[in-house]
Formats: sequence, C-alpha cells, structure tokens
Amino acid sequence: MRGLINKINGLGFVKFLIYGFFILFLIIPLLSVFLVSFTNEPINLFGSLVSVDQFQRTVEQFKNATLENYKSIFSYGHYFTGLKNSLYLSFIVSILVLLLCMPIAYGIARTKMPFKKTISALCTIPLIFPTFISAYAFIIMFGRAGWVTYIYQQLGGEGMLIDPYSMTGIALVQVFFFFPYALWPMVAAFKVSDVSLEEASRNMGSKGWLTFSTVTFPLALPGMLSTALVIFAVSFSDFGTPIILAPSDLNLIVVDAYREIAGFFNWGSAAILTVIMIAVAGFVYWLQNFLLKGRNYDTLSGKPKQVKLNENKALTVPLSIFSWFVVIIPLLTLATVFVQSIAKTWGLEPLPTGYTLDHYRTIFSSSLGNIQNSLLLAGGALVLSVVVASFVSYFVVRHRSTGLDFMTTVPLIVPGIAFGIALIQTFNTAPLHLTGTAFILIVAYSIRRLPYMVRSTVGTMRAIKQDIEEAAINLGASTLTAAITIIGPLMLPGIAAGSVLVFITVIKETSISVLMAPPDWAPMSLAIFQNVLRAEYYSAAAMSVILVAMVLVLQGLASLLSNRNKT
Amino acid sequence: MGSVELKQLKKDFSGVTVLQNIDLDIKEGEFFALLGPSGCGKTTTMRCIAGFETATSGTIEIGGKDVAKLSPNARNCGMVFQSYALFPHMNVFDNVAYSLNIKELKKNNLFKKFGVYTRMLNSKLVKYPKEIKEKVNNILEYVELSDHAYKLTSELSGGQQQRVALARALVMEPEVLLMDEPLSNLDLKLRHTMRNTIRRIQQELKITTIFVTHDQEEAMSMADRIAVMKDGEILQVGTPTDLYSNPKTPFIADFVGTSNIIPGTVVARENGLTTVRIGEQQMIKSATQTEQDDVKAIIRPENLTVIGEENESFDNTFEGEILFATYLGSTVRYDIEVEGHKLVVDTTYESGNQIRQEGSKIKLGVLPERVLLI
Repeated sequence: MRGLINKINGLGFVKFLIYGFFILFLIIPLLSVFLVSFTNEPINLFGSLVSVDQFQRTVEQFKNATLENYKSIFSYGHYFTGLKNSLYLSFIVSILVLLLCMPIAYGIARTKMPFKKTISALCTIPLIFPTFISAYAFIIMFGRAGWVTYIYQQLGGEGMLIDPYSMTGIALVQVFFFFPYALWPMVAAFKVSDVSLEEASRNMGSKGWLTFSTVTFPLALPGMLSTALVIFAVSFSDFGTPIILAPSDLNLIVVDAYREIAGFFNWGSAAILTVIMIAVAGFVYWLQNFLLKGRNYDTLSGKPKQVKLNENKALTVPLSIFSWFVVIIPLLTLATVFVQSIAKTWGLEPLPTGYTLDHYRTIFSSSLGNIQNSLLLAGGALVLSVVVASFVSYFVVRHRSTGLDFMTTVPLIVPGIAFGIALIQTFNTAPLHLTGTAFILIVAYSIRRLPYMVRSTVGTMRAIKQDIEEAAINLGASTLTAAITIIGPLMLPGIAAGSVLVFITVIKETSISVLMAPPDWAPMSLAIFQNVLRAEYYSAAAMSVILVAMVLVLQGLASLLSNRNKT
Repeated sequence: MGSVELKQLKKDFSGVTVLQNIDLDIKEGEFFALLGPSGCGKTTTMRCIAGFETATSGTIEIGGKDVAKLSPNARNCGMVFQSYALFPHMNVFDNVAYSLNIKELKKNNLFKKFGVYTRMLNSKLVKYPKEIKEKVNNILEYVELSDHAYKLTSELSGGQQQRVALARALVMEPEVLLMDEPLSNLDLKLRHTMRNTIRRIQQELKITTIFVTHDQEEAMSMADRIAVMKDGEILQVGTPTDLYSNPKTPFIADFVGTSNIIPGTVVARENGLTTVRIGEQQMIKSATQTEQDDVKAIIRPENLTVIGEENESFDNTFEGEILFATYLGSTVRYDIEVEGHKLVVDTTYESGNQIRQEGSKIKLGVLPERVLLI
C-alpha cells in the first residue's frame, strides 16, 4: 500500500489530471455527439453517472437508436448536396492553390526574381485575416456597390465581374487567403529536394526545363500533394467564408451544421453532420500522413547546400509579375477594409465621399467590451494551454506518453464547428451545465489551439537533455524544484513562441466564438461577425482594422522574440 | 566522506539482466575505477549508486548507511556527467552555487524560500549570502576558474567546462564523487592534463571517488584499484599492477594492456615448471602451477626478447617470421608468426638501430616466470 502511494507522486497526479482534462472536454464530447447521431436527441452522459433516472432515460434513448439519420443523409438530397458541394469546393480550392503556389514557391526557393524579399513578406498578409473579414471585404470590393465593380462597369462591363455571393466567390476568397499555408511548405520542398540530383541530370546533358520536369518536380511532388491536402482540410473546415458568402441556394456542410444547431436546435442532424465532417477531415489527415511516411525533409535540411539560383530574366521577370498579381489581392483587401473604416459613406463611387474617425470613436465608446473580452478570453486560453502543453510535452518526451501525444493531435482534425457542436451538446444540462459560460469558451479555444503550443514546447523539451535534469536532482533538488529552476527557464523560448501563436489564433477564431460565446462575453470576432450580418459595414471595418493591428503587433513581437533567441 | 559497499547487486531492464552479483567494497578516500567495454554495465552500476536506477535486488551502502530507499536527491553523491550537464542558462558561479542554493531552500521558511527561488531563476535579483559566495569562490579558485566565474558555460573551453562540472560536484561536499567517462569529450593533450588535475584534487581532498571508463590506460594511471567488468559482471578487482601481472582471465589479460594469448595442452609438470605444447614441436615452459590440462599461455609483448648473435640462454625459444614491423618512436612492435600463432613483440628502439625487414626470420626468448598460464 505504501509502495502504491509512493508511486502516485506529484507528477503522476498531474498526469492523471491532464488525462482527465482531455477525456472530459475532448473525448467524451466527441463520443456523445457520435452517439447522438444514432439516438437523434441529446443524451446526457454525465447526468447518467450521477442520477438513476437520467441513466434509465439514456438507456431508453439507446434502445430507440436507429440508423435513420445515416440513411436519410444519402436519400434526402439536402445534406448530401451539402457534403458534395463542400468536397467540390475544397477540391477546387486545393487545386487552384497548388497551381498558384508552384511558380511563386519555385521563384522564392530557386531563382533571383526581382522583389523576392518584398513578395515573401507580402505573402504573410493573408494569415493575419480571419476569413470572414476577407469574405466581407470581397463584398465591398466585388459586390454590387463595390469599387472593382465600378471600374469594371466603367470599362464597359455588364453587371459584376465576379459575384461574391457564389461558389466562385467563396473559392476565390479561400484561394487568396489560404495560399500561404501551402506556399511555405512548398518553398521548403523546393529548397531541400536534392540539388545534387539536378546537377547530375544537368551533367548528363539535360537542360533547364527538362531537368525541372524530370527531376525537380517529381522530387517535390509528394510534398506538394501533402500541402494540397492541408489546403483541402483548411478549406473544408473553414466557417468564416461560407457563412458570409454562401447564398441561400448553396448548401455547404459547415453552414448546414451551424444552422441546424443555431437556428433549429436540431440535435440529430447537427450530430450526423458533425460526424461526417470529422470523418472527412480525419481521412484527409490520415492520407496526408500516409503520403509523408518515410519522407523526412528535416533530416535533409540539416546540411544546407548551396543552390545556384536561376538568374535568367526571361523566367524571373514573368515569375515576379505573376507573384505580384497574387499578393496584390490580399493587399487590396486590407486597404479596402482600412478605407471603409475611415469613410463617411462609400458606395457606387471609386472612392468614399469623405473621411472620418467616427467609426473608431463609436468602437471605443460602445464596443470596448468586445476588445476587452477578446483579450481576456485569449489570455485565459493562453494560460491554460501553456500549463497543459508544458506538462504534456514533458510527459510525451520524458515518459514517451503516446496517449497524450494522440490526444493533442485530435484537435487538429476536428473542424471548429464540429468541436463547438460536440461541446454544446455535452455540457448543455446539469450536472455539468457549462454551455454559455466563459469557462467552456476558454477551454474550447485552448484545446483547439493546443496542437500549435504542444508542437512548440515538445520541440524545446526534446532539446533539453535528460542528464541536465538529472544533474539538478543529483545536486539535491527535488523533481519539482528541478522543473522550476532548470526545465522551466530552458523551455521559455518554446513557450513564448507557442503563446503568441495561440493568442493570435484565438483572437482570430470565428467558428467557436460564433457558436459558443454568450452575449456578455462576445469577443471582437463575434462583434464583427454580427455587424456584418446586420450590414453595419463601417463599424465592422473599424473593428477589423483594430483586430488586424493587434495581430500584426503580436506577430512583430513574436519575430522579435525568435530573433533574439537565435543570437 | 564515506565508503561504498555493494552487495549482490542485480539489475533487470524489462526482463533483460544488465547487472548481476555485483559485490564491491570501496574504501574511504579510495580512487576506484570501473573499467570495461561499452555495454558492460559500468555506467548502470554508477547510476544505481547515484539513485537514478533502482536495483532489482541487493543492497547499496554509503558510509555504512543503506541508501536503497533514499531518492537520488538525498544521497549526497556528487556526480560529474559524461556530457558535464552544465545548466546552459546560468553562468559558472550560479552553476556551482546550485547545490548550496538547494540546501538554503531546505532549511528556510516560506518567505526566504521565495527569495532563494528567485535567486536561482535570476541571480541578479537576490544577492548570495556571504558563506555561499566564499565557498563558491574558494572552489573556483581551487579549479583555477576564478577569472571565468561570470561567464556563461557555453563560452568556456572543454577543459574549463569539465572543471566547472567538477567544482559543482565538489562544492556540495559529497560522501562520494561519481565520474562518468569524464575525459571522453576532451582531446588527447587535455585528457592527460585533466588526468593529473583530477588525481591531484582527489589526493588532496581524500574524497572517495568512483570513476567509470572504457580506457584502460586512464584507469591504470589514475585509480588506486580497478574493477574490470564484462557483460554485467565483475571479473576481477585489484590494483593496476595486480591486474596487469596477474590477470584472472584471457579477457582481462587482453583488455588491460596487450597480451599474446596462446592456447595449448599441458604435457609435463616437473621442477616447478609446467610444460605446455602449443604446436607440433613447439613447447613452452611456465613457472605457473596449474591442474588444468587445457590452458592459455599469456605473454606480455615487452617480455619477449629478441635473441641476436650473442648467446643468451632462455628456457623458452621460438623461431618465426616477421609479418609487420610498426615503428612507434621509443619502441618497435613486430607482428610475428610462430607455428600458426601470431605473436606481438615490443622492442626498445635506440637511434641508429636498423628496423628488421618484414619477411625476415627472427628468434625470440621468454623467461618461464614471465609466462602466465590461465
């Protein structure tokens, strides 16, 4: 007995708590949403544990469980069309992104194209936008009263150049705002694909284009396919763009799921849509890992080789022009939102009628609460994920805990809307009635962004050798003291880098905020979203500018931190 | 300072036995080396003493006290790690002061504890008390690092880092000092200097020291006594000269120095000499008494003498052919084939001498007292 108590020391207890956290807020919600897809009505798993009545009711529900939902998906056209449309959209977007990124990635990795540095820098701009802001900026640009439409009509065009409220509109927004997710991995793939092989090819008499198509491209191909899958997953689970732009006759599975839960409280349908979303995302994730199996680009990048950069003007100038065309669109979007935020009125004209700071004044007088909420919620999620991620990385690296490793990858797969629905369903009633509290919102944010944090802290943890910790213990320190005085300070850079990322993504977060935030805890993203829905574009624009500015400042801070660590 | 006693120590790693029947009695103030090839269990033995591994069975006593139940942070064994394991975010002074901070932490109230914690995280915020400062400065002066006290450990050379690790272990005044391959990360010249430094410090402080190494030369030149280990067992314990002149097994004979090991059968025992047949005609006489019939004759390379024109009389003579001659500066080593056995002979080289041709014939002699039978 004493031996047993000795074994459950402080650290063991922490491990137990962390498992409990994941099981309570991740595994059980996903499990119960899966069960609801059969029972067709909400079930209360926690209630069944504490109350006999509830337990019997739950048993009764299971007795009535059917496969009706699954049948109806494939017979009843509505949801099936939604799934089909979503898959089609994601497919188109990933193909387009791949085609768009290939020349730019090649240009950045392998050539001396003009303005390379500027283009690289501008390529990060799309990442600072929450997608629903870019979606609504597209309305300001391409909509009936947009300035692009105005120019198009002046040039003799009829109607609109592109209708933003359409599949095309959604696809374009996603393409221009998701392409950086694919660009950087592709640049890396081009950089590491073995240059000596290309040299061998050239040495055997092959030239330029032939080498590219027979050696460089095939070598980079697996990397490209896997990045295409990343885009597929991001596009498939994106909520911000379709909720703003999808016309009422265009079904998309994310929007359907949101409407079922937020509009009709139709648990059965929401659950089945959630299960399907997770299944698709899970499959894509599996496929991606399958493709990358056995290919480790990291080991190659260990010894950087000098690559001779292509200087041929006939190639680099068109590449540069093409890249400018791609990066200019997010830039114009940013400018449009900014102009809108200081415009008196703007419509049917290329430029606003006058300029004012009134919208900002309104924000600072009436919507300061939203900014405060965003900061508090992101701060809470940050603290929670720092604590959880630090311990998780300790257990994953030192105790080789595969269980925790797995749990922290699950949130990568589950789309935000799906996770939100699962949480709402599970914590909707007593004994754990948490839906509508800031607490569950913070938990949701931090679990969703935990993978970023864990990746960062596991990396630093791996770099800390075991014997450094042993040395501290040998000198008399307890495990806890060693953790505080040695491991903690050494992990700080990893924690800092992960923290900024978590903070930024939580501020940008749309799906969870829209689905779960109670009115008195509405963060900025929700406020902007509601303003857009109410067509209060000016204050939405002003708030968006503030949000983007906050993200920019934080990102600057992050790069400052990482630069200081390098020296 | 204390003695270290291991009794019937056994260690399994998930069913695989890595240590068995380890019995050691290390005296107070002794410099003791654990010597063996990699994977022989020497580091595991040391980690059991430090408490990083829990022995499957057996007892460990330090200074007469059973420490099996003590956690590693309560054993007071200073350890110098192979990689030094210096704290990279602290300067030399803070590294050395770490154990003193921990002691401070243990005996103070909550408020002072907070101060010590703060100092361990950033020594600029809370000052060290005078005693700690004095102690650290003394030990730094002792290992000749006073000028580098406020440098980061990454700014130091390998030898200096090694001395920081040593100072950090010594400052806690441990009962035993444990060193895990402490010289393996240094270049050859520095290794020789550090050997002397470590030996000098050990002698002056009279601290019980256990030293793990795979390098027999290192063990021989530094230790008072050596335990030779192989496959998780101790083969022999003895002083360096003892091990060299009376190895108990052919493995030790070969691992501690170089040996010619020649298998043969005993054919006669007379006049205190044992005659062994090692080839069709070739016999060898040894002063060793043995009851075995199948034996191995061990001859050190330097005990074989090249017999020239002058008539030296040996009980044992061999004729063979030189396969290789290796010039090593003060000595010349010949690889010689004698009736299917390959022998190594070391001869002193005096300037002006000719090195014998490869392929030429050579005659060797050895005294029976220099032939060991195992």
